[in-house]
Amino acid sequence: MDVAKTTSVAQVQVVPRRARTDQFSTASFILPAVLIILFLSIFPLLVSLYVSMSRLQFARGGVELNFVGLANYAKLLVGIDQTRFLGKFGTPNIFGWLVLGLVALGLAYWIVQYIRTTRVTAIGLAGRLILAVFAMSLALLTVLTLADGGRPGTLWVTLFYVYVGIAVQYALGLLLAYLCAQHIPGRRFFRVVFLLPMMITPVGVAYMFRMMVDTSVGPLAPLWVVLGLRDVSWVNNPWTARGAILVSDIWEWTPFMFIVLLAALESLPTEPIEAAVVDGANKWQIFREITLPALLPVSTTLILIRMIEAFKIIDLPNILTSGGPGTATESMTLESYFVWRALDVGGSAAVAYLLLFVVTMVATAYGVLVRRRVEVEY
Amino acid sequence: MKRKLALSKLALSILAAFGVAVLMLAACAAPAAQPPVVQTVVVQQTVAVPQTVAVPQTVAVPQTVVAQQTVVVQPTAAALPYAGQTVNIITFTGPQIAEPLQRRAPDFEKLTGAHVNVVTVPFADLYQKVLTDASTGTNSYDAWVFDPQWMGDFVNAGFVEDLTDKVKNDKDLQWDDVAPFFRDFSATYNGKVYAIPLDGDFHMLYYRSDLLEKDGLKPPETWDDYLTIAAKYNGQDLNGDGQPDYGSCLFKKKAAQSYWTITDFAASMIQSQGTGQGAFFNTDNMQPLVNNDAFKKALQLYKETGKYGPPDELNLDVGNTRGLFTSGRCALSIDWGDIGSLAIDPATSKVQDKVGAAILPGSKEVLDWSTGKLVPCDAKTCPYAINGVNHAPFAAYGGWSGAVNANSKVKDAAYAFISYMSQPAQSNVDVTIGKTGFNPYRTSQFLNREEWVKAGMSPKAASNYLGAIEDSLNSPNMVLDLRIPQNQYYQQVVLDQAVSQYLAGELTEEQTMKQIEDAWNAKTDELGRDKQLAAYKASLGVQR
Amino acid sequence: MRLFRVSNASLYTPRPVGMLITYIVLIFWTVVVLFPLYWMFVTSFKLPIQVDSGPFYIPFVDFQPSLHAWQYILFGDLANDTRRQYLNTVVVATTSTILVMLIGSAAAYGLARFHYRPRLGMIVAFILCVLLTVVLAILRVPVQFGILIGVALFVIAMLTIVKRFHRSLGNNDIAFWMVSQRVLPPVAVVIPIYIMFQQLKLLDTWPALIITYVAANLPIVVWLMRDYFLTIPIELEECAAIDGASRYRTFWSIVLPLAVPGLVATFLFVLVFAWNEYLFALFLTNANAQTLPVSIAAQNATRGPQWWYMSVLVLIMILPVIIMAILLERYMAKGLLVGAVKG
Repeated sequence: MDVAKTTSVAQVQVVPRRARTDQFSTASFILPAVLIILFLSIFPLLVSLYVSMSRLQFARGGVELNFVGLANYAKLLVGIDQTRFLGKFGTPNIFGWLVLGLVALGLAYWIVQYIRTTRVTAIGLAGRLILAVFAMSLALLTVLTLADGGRPGTLWVTLFYVYVGIAVQYALGLLLAYLCAQHIPGRRFFRVVFLLPMMITPVGVAYMFRMMVDTSVGPLAPLWVVLGLRDVSWVNNPWTARGAILVSDIWEWTPFMFIVLLAALESLPTEPIEAAVVDGANKWQIFREITLPALLPVSTTLILIRMIEAFKIIDLPNILTSGGPGTATESMTLESYFVWRALDVGGSAAVAYLLLFVVTMVATAYGVLVRRRVEVEY
Repeated sequence: MKRKLALSKLALSILAAFGVAVLMLAACAAPAAQPPVVQTVVVQQTVAVPQTVAVPQTVAVPQTVVAQQTVVVQPTAAALPYAGQTVNIITFTGPQIAEPLQRRAPDFEKLTGAHVNVVTVPFADLYQKVLTDASTGTNSYDAWVFDPQWMGDFVNAGFVEDLTDKVKNDKDLQWDDVAPFFRDFSATYNGKVYAIPLDGDFHMLYYRSDLLEKDGLKPPETWDDYLTIAAKYNGQDLNGDGQPDYGSCLFKKKAAQSYWTITDFAASMIQSQGTGQGAFFNTDNMQPLVNNDAFKKALQLYKETGKYGPPDELNLDVGNTRGLFTSGRCALSIDWGDIGSLAIDPATSKVQDKVGAAILPGSKEVLDWSTGKLVPCDAKTCPYAINGVNHAPFAAYGGWSGAVNANSKVKDAAYAFISYMSQPAQSNVDVTIGKTGFNPYRTSQFLNREEWVKAGMSPKAASNYLGAIEDSLNSPNMVLDLRIPQNQYYQQVVLDQAVSQYLAGELTEEQTMKQIEDAWNAKTDELGRDKQLAAYKASLGVQR
Repeated sequence: MRLFRVSNASLYTPRPVGMLITYIVLIFWTVVVLFPLYWMFVTSFKLPIQVDSGPFYIPFVDFQPSLHAWQYILFGDLANDTRRQYLNTVVVATTSTILVMLIGSAAAYGLARFHYRPRLGMIVAFILCVLLTVVLAILRVPVQFGILIGVALFVIAMLTIVKRFHRSLGNNDIAFWMVSQRVLPPVAVVIPIYIMFQQLKLLDTWPALIITYVAANLPIVVWLMRDYFLTIPIELEECAAIDGASRYRTFWSIVLPLAVPGLVATFLFVLVFAWNEYLFALFLTNANAQTLPVSIAAQNATRGPQWWYMSVLVLIMILPVIIMAILLERYMAKGLLVGAVKG
């Protein structure tokens, strides 16, 4: 992975080694953490992998797991569950083909550009090719399922939640952090209040929003009536249903972005800004040229962490709409949960592992594309 | 040499860490949840040592019911058969079901010496917890408040104790008082008794009696009547708050209870020859009965009710629709027995004494299984028809029952507690209290109107409500819920999803039916068609 | 020489127009944040019929409030359960958070200061040995024997085969591996973990949840604290080393006090995660160690969600966390990923 190679030795500063006992003492810092994570993750990981390749049945005295190889995965990708997982494919119009063509060109250009650099390695090339294929298939999936007669599956819906959600949360968090970083009376009050949504247990937030978005007995019902929407409900349309879930998700997780960005903003050194003001730059220019680039390292880490969590979204779609209408709001983790509840633990583990695969791909792509641009100092 | 030492140093440190971890874990493994300490006490097979006294009771209805009441003689210390034993029983967080268990546990302890520990978990996760506990051999629960549908999986895996003999020898249980349907179908599997009913679950129709009376209408007998009445009242203000209300409120939320409602619509067209015929699969070849004209009509009817219901009906589960009905916003609804008891409580209802209950609407046409087409009802096709209408009340979910873990160490005490809860002396009181969640399932319960009137129902409402229950329970054509292995997959995953997609407009009727049929067949083949067929037939079978 | 970054540097005080816009936006968002909470608060005083009949907003004006939900949860039928669950939540969350902070900060410091070069061979050998232990456990060999055999084989492998493979990983790989632990949804791993604790007879106890939460939250602590440690200038530690202080001493007495703001902020994050966790709490506990989030989910019973009880539970759950946030708020401004900003 290329991120490893950007290790800039100078920053990981090593206090001079003394004796062999040194190795023990340095190891002992990290060993407890590594061991704990290893013990509690290797075993479940391996067992889940095995389970994802088997089917559960009840037999005398307990359960039996029958090995079936990749059948569970096949069911999801090409079998009965394909329309639920990948979606239903429609026929794209000219615009869709155009988009696909552009994406393909862009990816091709990216690969060619890499080949023309001097430091080409087999692993680098292979990695990039895999990423390109992955990106292309996602684009294909998007165009096909959003076309006429198509319908997105849980894979696409999850990606939708992640990308749109994080984009809005980041923008909103940045805006709020920027405003709160100013010298205004009441800053501390806002800081505490804005932190609240994150502190409620996700299940509680989901039920709370179920109350909030209820258009017949919820608090916004009169507003609905005033707008003439008494007989219309957001639950019937896939996009409004997804919107409801996004709204709740944004409400819940913007504080995460907010608090981190606020801390970063407040610790920015003032000299460059003061210099810029002296030079006559306006607020917008300062923000765009100085603040934003300075925040980029923080932002990339923040978005990576939040992205990994966002892929696991389950409580909101489960409690707000149970994944409905139809399968419009179902996320991958929710599909995994539903299937697991019906004792198809093999199918459930298969969905989970596909999620793992997707997230790894996305995180790697993110790492390669974004973080290399940013001077991350490790 | 240096490198080797360095490596072994590291290896040694890892080894040390490993060892420490193991030692720590072994040492600190303090089992907080002690398995029940079993003192072997030589006990009789039967429960406690009561004296049965027959107390004749005359009730305020033109029927004299002689109810057996068990009068328990003051037990001496020597007669406490389960002293020192602890029974762990698991159910979902109440107050429904859990509250009466918790309330009566101390009484039971006084009678028998066994301490009952009621464990509660969220309702949606109850099945998983019980299953995980049983299948991994943990066995932290001695008894479960059990859904008879689970028998399909649990009995075959040997998790549930066979209670046939215990029930036969248990006079206080008054097994014959339990309504035939629950006794012969819900509680038994393959001819053996595995669970004791504590609650009777089946769907009924609820309607606004005040509205129908005012307009001289009778409660709907068929689903077409249902739609007519719903259309009539839709849009009118039914509770006097100035806002238009709805003709019909049904719970259609995905992954909630919607997959039972579709069976409500379909069953009266599919099953007409009695409970043993079944409503889900063809008993010859295990073909699903979902790709035919009856199911198609059921889907269409189901979807059409949406025209007369709340705009967000697709997201309403049973809690919402109950609330809507009891706040007066629906003319018609379907529910288990809860609306009846919720309606009389002013804390939950605005329609006290305005609620009527009736047997589920039926159909004048039934399915010819060999052709897949609908044929009109006559003496041969609908032997149990009432007024030419074939009714098939659906015992959705089956009714909470108590079952004993086959690997429990205190089986007798566990059985005794469940039996105690089901005995008329306790049960007949509990079913009248709304918050217990226990709905009537014993003949003596719906013949004895007095208790209900005492609980707050008007005599007329009590007659009506209990009459509807009686009609349903006495129907020989009651529909048994699916009880084959992995029924959750068939119903909760496949059926529910397909119906939800149909209601959302993602699929047509044909696509929906085909999707269900294909997925059901795939699962049946995966588990073994012959095995599933045998299990299905076993679940429908009855032996006395 | 500037040793610390003083963090009260805000950008600047805006002009009146800017102030107005600022306040409009901030107050708008405050309302957005507080209104759902207010709704929960009000719902906790409502009777079922009042919830079902349409929105009522203000107690005593719109509707007559009732204490039934509070009474039920805090003093009535559920009181014992609530008290026990509250205690469990407090104990499990704080213990696991303190532990994870200790272990995670140490690991983060290590990743920030030292060059780790774990050999790929060693890692592969380790995984294979764990696999072997698991297989032995499936074949019904007692767990302790399986572990001993696995360990023995690992040591042997280390001393012989592993030497031949020189490729090693770096700090970044370790960090990435740690964060990747958070990717797999809990639902996929809950049953294996359940079985693990069942074998160790730790089900329905505090240690089970504590250990699980420590493992689950370590990646977050490591990532957040590592960036913070990287900003602390190395000179202090070099001085300490020259003066003869051991690594531990340096870490404990010099680096940690400097990192208090970051520690506090991370502490709050992790506490919130542990406090609110649901799925593992559901599965690894029965009656004894059950925590509050399970109770909230349990209020969705066969009668439908009992909004009034749920509201009470949510409110009493967030109260301590809010108080803690208020108390610790002043530290948070200075904490959190300050280091990644170049200055």
